[in-house]
Amino acid sequence: MTVDHYILLSAILFTIGGIGFLSRRNVLVALMSLEVMLNAVNLALVAFNRAQAGALSQSSFSGGTAHTGQVFAFFVIAVEAAEVAVGLAIVLSLFRIKRTVRSDEADLLKN
Amino acid sequence: MGHWLLTLFPATDFSLIAVMLGLPLLGAIVNGIWGKRLGPDAVRVLTLAVVGGSFLTAVLAFAALTAHVDASSHEHVKLAWTAWSWMPTSTAPGLYIPIDVKFSIDALSGVMMLIITGIGLLIHLYATSYMAGDPGYARFFAYLNLFIFAMLILVLGDNMPVLFVGWEGVGLCSYLLIGFWYEKAPNAAAGKKAFLANRVGDFGLICAMFMFAHYTGALDWAGIHAHADNFINPSDAMRVHVWPLGGGEYQGIFSFLQPHRAVTISAATAVGIALLLGCTGKSAQIPLYVWLPDAMAGPTPVSALIHAATMVTAGVYLICRLSFVFVLSPAVMMTTAIIGAATALLAASIAIVQNDIKKVLAYSTISQLGFMFLAVGVGAFTAGLFHVFTHAFFKACLFLGAGSVIHGMHGRIHDDDKAQDMRNMGGLRKYLPLTYMTFLAATAAIIGVPFTSGFFSKDEILFDAFRDHPVSPFTAQLARAHLGVFQIPLWLGPVLYGAAVLAATLTAFYMVRAVILTFFGEFRGWKVGRPAALAAGAGAGHDEHHHDDLTTPGRAPHESPWQMTVPLIILGTCSIFVGIIFNAGPIKVDALHSMDKWLEPVFAEAVLGGVKVVRDTNELVVGVGGLAAFVIGTALAYWMYISEKGAPAKRLAEEYPRLYKLLVDKWRVDELYDVTVIAAVDALSDTSATFIDQWLVDGIIAKLSSSIVKLSGTVLRALQTGVVQVYATMMIVGLACFGWFFVAPHAATAVDSTHEDNGDFVVSAGPGMGYQYRWDSNGDGKPDGDKFTPQSSVKIHLDEGQSQTVKLEVENAFSLRTTTSVSVSRAPKLNVVPAMQGNPGQAPAMPGGAK
Repeated sequence: MTVDHYILLSAILFTIGGIGFLSRRNVLVALMSLEVMLNAVNLALVAFNRAQAGALSQSSFSGGTAHTGQVFAFFVIAVEAAEVAVGLAIVLSLFRIKRTVRSDEADLLKN
Repeated sequence: MGHWLLTLFPATDFSLIAVMLGLPLLGAIVNGIWGKRLGPDAVRVLTLAVVGGSFLTAVLAFAALTAHVDASSHEHVKLAWTAWSWMPTSTAPGLYIPIDVKFSIDALSGVMMLIITGIGLLIHLYATSYMAGDPGYARFFAYLNLFIFAMLILVLGDNMPVLFVGWEGVGLCSYLLIGFWYEKAPNAAAGKKAFLANRVGDFGLICAMFMFAHYTGALDWAGIHAHADNFINPSDAMRVHVWPLGGGEYQGIFSFLQPHRAVTISAATAVGIALLLGCTGKSAQIPLYVWLPDAMAGPTPVSALIHAATMVTAGVYLICRLSFVFVLSPAVMMTTAIIGAATALLAASIAIVQNDIKKVLAYSTISQLGFMFLAVGVGAFTAGLFHVFTHAFFKACLFLGAGSVIHGMHGRIHDDDKAQDMRNMGGLRKYLPLTYMTFLAATAAIIGVPFTSGFFSKDEILFDAFRDHPVSPFTAQLARAHLGVFQIPLWLGPVLYGAAVLAATLTAFYMVRAVILTFFGEFRGWKVGRPAALAAGAGAGHDEHHHDDLTTPGRAPHESPWQMTVPLIILGTCSIFVGIIFNAGPIKVDALHSMDKWLEPVFAEAVLGGVKVVRDTNELVVGVGGLAAFVIGTALAYWMYISEKGAPAKRLAEEYPRLYKLLVDKWRVDELYDVTVIAAVDALSDTSATFIDQWLVDGIIAKLSSSIVKLSGTVLRALQTGVVQVYATMMIVGLACFGWFFVAPHAATAVDSTHEDNGDFVVSAGPGMGYQYRWDSNGDGKPDGDKFTPQSSVKIHLDEGQSQTVKLEVENAFSLRTTTSVSVSRAPKLNVVPAMQGNPGQAPAMPGGAK
């Protein structure tokens, strides 16, 4: 298991999420796809951090315990939570107005 | 006393002025903000206290000034106080104009200061009773205190900008007080009219200020005085070009407008006309006098204080203050004198047929201001200011007397217009004895009964108009520079004298007429007023203490309370006696300074240089004219309204109905302005509203740009599908393009040819992240080395006329490669063959010589 495997997994997850977001019309599923994409990014961040930490441990810089990537992943999780809160609020509003959660029916701004 | 004050307040830092100015301002602020809550009693006490304090301070300051003048043996000295530095300005590099908030008291402003605070105090006392019961009591005194403050700023300001602040301040207070009863539309309109007429004049004043800054580089009196000779500088650049305006030149199709010689006037004339415009606005002279009769819509104390005694004399004050500028231009002096005489005559002719007692006094004020303008126009600045001084007493007394009459009439007639109509009065001396006595005293002064104040001041004006002749003080110097100087024709003096005597005759006539109609005969008001008021269902005029039954005949007119009669008595007494004390003529009580001696240092320079005595006459001889005016005018009025009971007046009106109508309509000047100036402004604003705004702005600018936006919106709207996934796809496509741009390498080269002379060129590659380069610098088609290196530039050497292609390959971090090439060439060497040194055989072949 090298870093490459993790990156590959991350790329696959990201692609799945992206295709899911673009193709599914149910807003809830689209939000789930977003989660998948964000977690793919988290995985990549953690994996890169792991690889980088190994390289940095050779130098005296931060004594081989650089956690930037992992800390960044936590930031992403926090932002993700906020995004879901906002996203679900929007979905709820949409449902109240349109009685649907299908994104192609949410076209009040069309033309 | 004065010396003691001077040790306390030195002449160069006379901070007592702050107290004089500060007290009325304090009164205005407190009355204006808290007056309603404090109640009328507190307002009355406060307003009298601040104005009284200001008057006391003014008396102290005058004592100090007297001591200062005595100490400096009648030089032109002043007590000055700089509050703060206001707007330090520089008009050109090295030219610095310090504009300070600076005040000064000299002989001229000292007299004005005493008039303003002294008469102001009396009128405040009067108004506390006159305005009693008015719902706007506190507001009234806030405005009135503010007026005292602004007027003091006007006369005490040591430079033009400070004077201008006061000038605008009194204009504002005038506006506010004319429209004091603003619920009635005509009052508000009168306020607006006064304000707008004054704006026209203020335009002139602002122009004059710019000219002062430009020509003298100073705005304070001393600075303007020091450089005043710049105004008559004969050089072309220092004159004011009237045609073509501003000294330009008409070219092309407009060249027919270009005169052979540019029409220029001296800067002195230009600045004088600008100042004169300002003064005619404030002092209600032709052509801007039309606002003053309408200003009578304000409460009567306001008419007395602002529109008779103080504010309207500001124009005369300004001419006196800048007398040394006015005398530089005889043309302006002549214009001033003619405007004055014409206004005196015109206003007097209107006054003889008016029936509203306040209108008669308003036109009388305009007429008397005309006399003052006539005086300063012929260079008799002292006489002009002396008339300001005496006029302040007798006209304030007349207005307050009229106010007292109206107040008394309101006891019977609850209608503002009818209560002021002299046709409804008559016989009032029985009911208002004190008012009658004081009104009679002031009338005696204004019509020139011998030895009253008006007699002396008017006589002096008539005498000076006949005798004096303004000339340019620099005539000799300008003649040496071969410049003609405008000469006032010699016959003008007697003509002005004649016009003034005629105006004085009319004055005597209309004032005696007013007295007879108001106070003599039988009271005519029993029959009028009440049925009309009853029909209108109105409970009243503004004074609410007369709420009686309208169906009964009602009370008789009544005398006013002591707060109103005491000022009347004081002013009436002064109207009689100030003349004989302060006049400069042969008949006087010589106990005090005459006004002439007192003001001599202020006007010394202007009068010595600019006024020539052209007729050797005796004042007593010329004075016959004034005396005759009084006798004829009075006798005529007596005959017409007492002996014949008004029958001749009626007969005249019937015989010449058109002339009579014209006079009653005030020569229809307002109507003339309506069809000319106001119609022109209306037409202009109509054009702006319809053509420029609706057609140009709305039609082209707004509609055109909105249709462009609409069109592009229609095109772009097609892209808005409203489907979230489509937007997301577009975003991803955009990101992909963006990503591709960063992933692909970009090759770029730059050639540095600064050392072309040596044949050395440096070709460098554009930088990028993780870029490595491989060069082919010798043009053989093969790279210089196999490997990509970080070397980002190559140096090549070329011979003259040689060129070479340099090829660059770039590889980035993703191992993607790209190629570019650049051609570098060196200019061929020129075979320079100088013509002079060249081979004779070669020379014809190269006629141009060196290339």
